Amino acid sequence: MSDTEPRAEKSVGTTAEQTEADTSSEETATRETVLDVSGLTKIYPDGTLAVDDIDFSVNAGNFCVIIGPSGCGKSTTLHSLVGKVEATEGTITLDGTEITETETYDRDIGLVFQDFQLFPHLTVEENVRYGLERLDLPADEADQRVSTIMETMQLSGATGRDPGELSAGQKQRVALARSLVLEPKLLLLDEPLGDMDYKLQKRMERELLEIHREFDTTFVYVTHDQTQAMRLADQIVVMNDGNVEQSDPVDAVYNTPETAFVATFVGDSNILRGTVGGTSEDGSVARVETDLGQFETRTDNLDAEPSEVVGTDLAFSIRPQHLTLGEDVRNTVRCRVEDVITRPGKGAQVVLSPLSAPTAELQLRSWEAVSAREGDEITVGWTPADAVMLDRTSVVEGIDLETDILGE
Amino acid sequence: MSSTAAIEVDDLSKSYADETVLQEVSFAVESGEFCVVMGPSGSGKSTLLGCIAGLVEHDSGTVRLSGESAETVPVRSRDLGYVFQEFEDTLFPHMTVAENVAFGLEQQDADHDRAEVDSRIDEMLDLLAIPDTRDSLPTELSGGQQQRVELARQLVRQTDILLLDDPLADLDYKLQKRMELEMRDIHAEMNSSFLYVTHNQDQALKLADKLVVLNRGRVEQIGTPEAVYYRPASAFVGRFVGDSNPFVGAVTADDEAEGEVSVETGIGRMAATVQGGHPADDRRALAMVRPESVAFDSAAEGRDNVFTARLIDWTYMGEETEYAFEVDGLDYVLQAVSRGRPTVTEADLGTTVPVGWDRADTLCFETVSSAPTVTVDDLMRV
Repeated sequence: MSDTEPRAEKSVGTTAEQTEADTSSEETATRETVLDVSGLTKIYPDGTLAVDDIDFSVNAGNFCVIIGPSGCGKSTTLHSLVGKVEATEGTITLDGTEITETETYDRDIGLVFQDFQLFPHLTVEENVRYGLERLDLPADEADQRVSTIMETMQLSGATGRDPGELSAGQKQRVALARSLVLEPKLLLLDEPLGDMDYKLQKRMERELLEIHREFDTTFVYVTHDQTQAMRLADQIVVMNDGNVEQSDPVDAVYNTPETAFVATFVGDSNILRGTVGGTSEDGSVARVETDLGQFETRTDNLDAEPSEVVGTDLAFSIRPQHLTLGEDVRNTVRCRVEDVITRPGKGAQVVLSPLSAPTAELQLRSWEAVSAREGDEITVGWTPADAVMLDRTSVVEGIDLETDILGE
Repeated sequence: MSSTAAIEVDDLSKSYADETVLQEVSFAVESGEFCVVMGPSGSGKSTLLGCIAGLVEHDSGTVRLSGESAETVPVRSRDLGYVFQEFEDTLFPHMTVAENVAFGLEQQDADHDRAEVDSRIDEMLDLLAIPDTRDSLPTELSGGQQQRVELARQLVRQTDILLLDDPLADLDYKLQKRMELEMRDIHAEMNSSFLYVTHNQDQALKLADKLVVLNRGRVEQIGTPEAVYYRPASAFVGRFVGDSNPFVGAVTADDEAEGEVSVETGIGRMAATVQGGHPADDRRALAMVRPESVAFDSAAEGRDNVFTARLIDWTYMGEETEYAFEVDGLDYVLQAVSRGRPTVTEADLGTTVPVGWDRADTLCFETVSSAPTVTVDDLMRV
């Protein structure tokens, strides 16, 4: 651990770190694929194309979060996995066996509902035992499974209680116990922490992570909440309008987004756009002419050869924490400070308007206190390594950067 | 308290049947101030707003609005706006956005010139970035747009006081962040006094000039976000606001300096700094350290409190990484947080490392909570 320690002080996104991130995603790839979704399409009887030929896979033991705005197809995808929605086309393979046509109860997939939906007329133990009946286990094995999971979930003291008497944390544990006692190959969670008090939600997230660690089961969790996705996920599948924009480990989704949609939907981002004027000799850095001036960006995120994009219009993304105060970096912009918002324990957020394009907005995130005040003129900048070029606005045809992504 | 305060609440109490909802609550919102009330659900936040608006009758105590006792001012004549959380229910479905906003103005007694009303509506819709919705019906709008219409309807009246009951709670993350900025702009521009209730900690800490922390109907602390976060007045405030790792144990005074104590915790003796007076020796008290103050590996060396821990997990969240450690004698997972990417790899999982934090960052509390029924053990689970 100590040899990696100095990196704690370094800014994120340098080329050296990028290499490291690539290695770690290769490491994860060596873990066995447990779920493979291929060409999945769902057209509802009314003609709505909810899911449009999507592919993604999840490795064993991963915590995969599917996110996207409402109507993006994430719920249809989840319901296809569990068998509540019949796929129009494509295949779902679980642990090497195709289950696209398999009945829901034979799929070996657990489901935790929104609001947990415990059986109110059954005790905690009866809730947990309920699904086991179907497995036809010898009685002593069933008993053993129930008592083990009740203990692991710290529910042993609540076996005879009614679900209505339980705290939110206990309800979550019963819902998880009820599914995990069946030892499913995959556990699906349908936005279980949706409508909850802020503090309680964070505590439940932590418990969920602890349970995931304990059981080493593969979790697929659906939510529209980006911050929750970042707090929970090993892997994120970003959906938009029935398509998968990107499916990757968190590090890759955050640091090397495939599209402008992903860059803005996952985490906060400054998006600039301009014409690529040229590249460095080795092609690793491109020069982009924008309304705010000429900037250098790294090119390794591009699918295209850097030389091919010269003369075209492209967007690039810079995370707010990669914007720094001062002129000692390659790319700089002179800005007026519009607002400074401090959050004790988390530093400050600075809202800026570039002097050369006052209607544009840049956001800077600082871990230290910021002395600049509203109305001040300051210079901010970033290194080419922290500017990520984006091949496309979105995988969805016809999506416009300005109106659909940067507008509201 | 200065008599020019926009809102002055003094000794306010309210009970429903045998349940005390507000207990001797006192605080003031100065003119032009952005005051945020935060607290767990059931702490009395919304009842407090209701009492100030005149929608809920209080049992005892006084509410003064701009220096005048609220009892002498009928609810209709109170110069205040009220933005509800459930905005869908308050917009008129058969009226356009402009008509809905105009309704706010027509409620005021003053005679408004038609042209003046129109221009004020336009101004407000511009400010809230929804000028294109002017002739739409509420049902044609997104949730975020509807919320802004509700805001516009209250803001257009330019009341001296605006009460807001968690107005951004139902918006999605991106819109919430956008509206937080707009809320600050609007407040700065209007020069009104805002009293804003929320359960969202980030929002409270970002928006407030002054925070009022409520718990079980009582005021736990009044102060700036910095004071509440870094110098919590009670163990409750420390645990409720922000994230923290709690420890519990008997307190003994250290000789070296005032306010320095040792806490005999389950993981060992811990040097701590006392908040708000000195707990009696040997008393069981709560101490806590925030995740951002927990160092690990070589960075832990030389800290005032160093323990041996096992790294069991980490979560990379883009801006920061959260680490989970097991420590002998601790029945929960210790959290640490660092900026940027993880400083560990898969190979480090399960390894033993030192974790450490300083005395100055280890807060120990004289007061558990202003609510007498709250115990130290309750706060371990917050």
